[in-house]
Amino acid sequence: MGGFMIITNNTLVKEKFGTDYHVEYEELSFEDTLKKVRDMIYDGYKLLTHPLSGSVKPKETPYKSVLMSEKPEGLDMQSMKLIESAIQACGKFQDRTGQYDSDVYEDFRLIDCTLIGSAIPSAECW
Amino acid sequence: MSKIKVVHYINQFFANIGGEEKADYPAEIRVGEIVGPGMALKQYFGEEAEIVATIVCGDSYFNENLEKAKADILAMVKEQAPDIFIAGPAFNAGRYGVACGTICDAVQEELGIPAVTGMYVENPGADMFKNKVYTIATKNSAAGMKDAVSKLAPLALKIAKKEAIGASCQEGYMPNGVRVNFFEEERGSKRAVNMLLKKLADKPFETEYPMPSFDRVEPNPAIKDLSKATIALVTSGGIVPKGNPDHIESSNASHYGEYDITGVMDLTEATYETAHGGYDPVYANEDADRVLPVDVLREMEKNGVIGKLHNKFYTTVGNGTAVASSKAFAEEFSQKLLADGVDAVILTST
Amino acid sequence: MKLELGNIFIKDIQFGTESKIENGVLTVSEEAVKAIVLEDEKIKSVNLDIAKPGESVRITPVKDVIEPRVKVEGRGGIFPGVIAKVDTVGSGKTYALKGMAVVTAGKIVGFQEGIIDMTGPGADYTPFSKLNNLVVVCEPVEGVKQHDYEKAVRIAGFKVAVYLGELARELTPDETKVYETYGIMEGKEKFPELPRVAYVQMLQSQGLLHDTYVYGVDAKKTLSTIMCPTEIMDGAIVSGNCVSACDKNPTYVHENNPVVHDLFEEHGKTINFVCQIITNENVYLADKMRSSDWTAKMCRMLDLDAVIVSQEGFGNPDTDLIMNCKKIEAEGVKTVIITDEYAGRDGKSQSLADADVAADAVVTGGNANQVIVLPKMDKVIGTLDYVNTIAGGNEHSLREDGTIEVEIQAITGATNETGFGYLSAR
Repeated sequence: MGGFMIITNNTLVKEKFGTDYHVEYEELSFEDTLKKVRDMIYDGYKLLTHPLSGSVKPKETPYKSVLMSEKPEGLDMQSMKLIESAIQACGKFQDRTGQYDSDVYEDFRLIDCTLIGSAIPSAECW
Repeated sequence: MSKIKVVHYINQFFANIGGEEKADYPAEIRVGEIVGPGMALKQYFGEEAEIVATIVCGDSYFNENLEKAKADILAMVKEQAPDIFIAGPAFNAGRYGVACGTICDAVQEELGIPAVTGMYVENPGADMFKNKVYTIATKNSAAGMKDAVSKLAPLALKIAKKEAIGASCQEGYMPNGVRVNFFEEERGSKRAVNMLLKKLADKPFETEYPMPSFDRVEPNPAIKDLSKATIALVTSGGIVPKGNPDHIESSNASHYGEYDITGVMDLTEATYETAHGGYDPVYANEDADRVLPVDVLREMEKNGVIGKLHNKFYTTVGNGTAVASSKAFAEEFSQKLLADGVDAVILTST
Repeated sequence: MKLELGNIFIKDIQFGTESKIENGVLTVSEEAVKAIVLEDEKIKSVNLDIAKPGESVRITPVKDVIEPRVKVEGRGGIFPGVIAKVDTVGSGKTYALKGMAVVTAGKIVGFQEGIIDMTGPGADYTPFSKLNNLVVVCEPVEGVKQHDYEKAVRIAGFKVAVYLGELARELTPDETKVYETYGIMEGKEKFPELPRVAYVQMLQSQGLLHDTYVYGVDAKKTLSTIMCPTEIMDGAIVSGNCVSACDKNPTYVHENNPVVHDLFEEHGKTINFVCQIITNENVYLADKMRSSDWTAKMCRMLDLDAVIVSQEGFGNPDTDLIMNCKKIEAEGVKTVIITDEYAGRDGKSQSLADADVAADAVVTGGNANQVIVLPKMDKVIGTLDYVNTIAGGNEHSLREDGTIEVEIQAITGATNETGFGYLSAR
């Protein structure tokens, strides 16, 4: 089992995990972050966490962090299936990401950060 | 409030004109007349609604003169300007069911008048139209008329009055791809236990959420004599003439391409490439035969292994393209392949 | 294991100088309850309120709903590993205060959610509108971290529930129900002809505001395991889950888990209810594989004939649900799964984020995206500050006339995935 990296659009994740882990930060929307992950999956990277982690709905929160294999490992069917249905699921929700006060974004960043943080101990076991 | 105006459509059989021998009976309207099953509908309607006209059309006539029959019937319906259009019920009569679905769909689409029909679940008209037209599930023969009308009439009234339509299991229509909430008599856990007991006893049970259907395609019988067969190539690997003239998208393709390969013996770097954005394109661009093996098939053609290679190939990009789109593409070009007398297809993916 | 559950019906709640239960009326000393809540220094202030069925009252944002209980005989105490010390619960005698709940409310994060309307159309969608609710609204001290504060409010709710439960210790229950399951061999001998059935409960376990605790242990750090179904009746499983109001399981749902209760109804008659299996819903995919492997393996080792699998939450757990279903079916064990749907506002989208042919027996709690207009209520307990930001709301949710337009996913318990409610969809 190889290493992992975090794909994120959440500055807090970059801040918190950036020094210890490989974090790929890019300022993208929730959906575009998933699309970036999808393109990586088609390049052979493997999905390590569920793209719809968290019960905060897509587009309700603007933030998404996903754990991926650090290197391509060949096209993985399960990764492909999960990411496609996750992107499809985005269409079911109203986009509300521009509608909150700034402190709410802090909360969203924190929740996303703890969601991905909950996967890191598991990822490190390998 | 004035009565709801209904126009009712039935076939020659239910109009008492005759069976198969009269199926070529052309469309006609009988204004002010209530015919056959219309009597049962009338009973249910009471004072709320009235059938202002009945349209009768032979099943063969409708299906064999589709465009004319449709246009004629639409004109008749338009003239009456009903609040709701009802067709059938068609039970298990296949052509009647297709006619009911077709004309209801047309009335809704062209005239903006809501329509409702009814038929047996295995009637081919059901699969074709249940997602477009409210279709009551009926028994498989006219013996189920009373039951059918008892669902058809109330649903028609509700639709005409623009009331909220309940879930399929409440109203009796076939599930139409729209999920509708409602309160059950028993809580979910109890329903789960009941379902479990039935499943344990191998008794029939009904899932509340049928999983999206997984298409399993039965393979066709093997080609008996390959040396006489016309073989076509189809790919989701995105092989296109150099420059991608039809701009097939690198992912989530919205269309497919059809390209002539008459006289093409080999796909070269200069002439073909891939539009696919989901795999490393270097090897496909270097030699597109690696994805769409024209060269090998030409050789087989020359050596008489196969009859011939079809002179057109069909191509799209399977990179995140929706199953529904893929299905629609294939439905369209497989008709062309059939029409061109193709015996078999080699479908390559990446 | 055998548990006698004594139900004491609470017809009304009122405030008074001394906390007591008399003739089905619960009197609550505000002072005493506030003192309990304020034991935690992270809570700055607390307000208590009472909401009764039929009143024009809206409670929001709801964090947890808890049923007060007291352990009167047998090992352990209510909420083991959380409030009571760690000891195996689920046997002996327990009293429950029926017809009422402690509801914790107040802001934890800025996108807080959870609405309980006590009357009107919204009341139909939440099971908690039928209860007399003692609402505990907390305010944090300045600068406290969200996870510390979440824990403080979570524990405060349990403490208040235990305090109220204690008031019933010396009472005589209005009715008593006995729940008993047997050892593997014992059960086989007792019910040789009955199919062996278990309940597989998936617990929310993804991180802050998405956690569930079993005897105080964070469920995401557990392997799938077996419980005696009576353990939950003593509060062995509690909720730390504040997100996705419609399909999260408040502690009340764990204590009164409907699948456990409805399987007990058939126990010894049509089935042998062998045990409860708990498993988690982690975000790490290999954890999902492992947990579902273990669940399926246990189903086989226990020689089960059938299971019911329930879910909690949206998206990520769909994958656990399908993995569990597929693997358990592959072991030759028949499954029925309970879920809810996100089919879009128009009901036309794909309901689940995952699917498999093995899932041929599905019970649904309905489409959470359904839009509902909630009328203005005379009184709001908590605050409407967050209504525009709750799941299924938007910037127009709170309208000028005081009505709220939201998706039912904002309503606590609306599409519960243990089958607690009556809502369904076709």
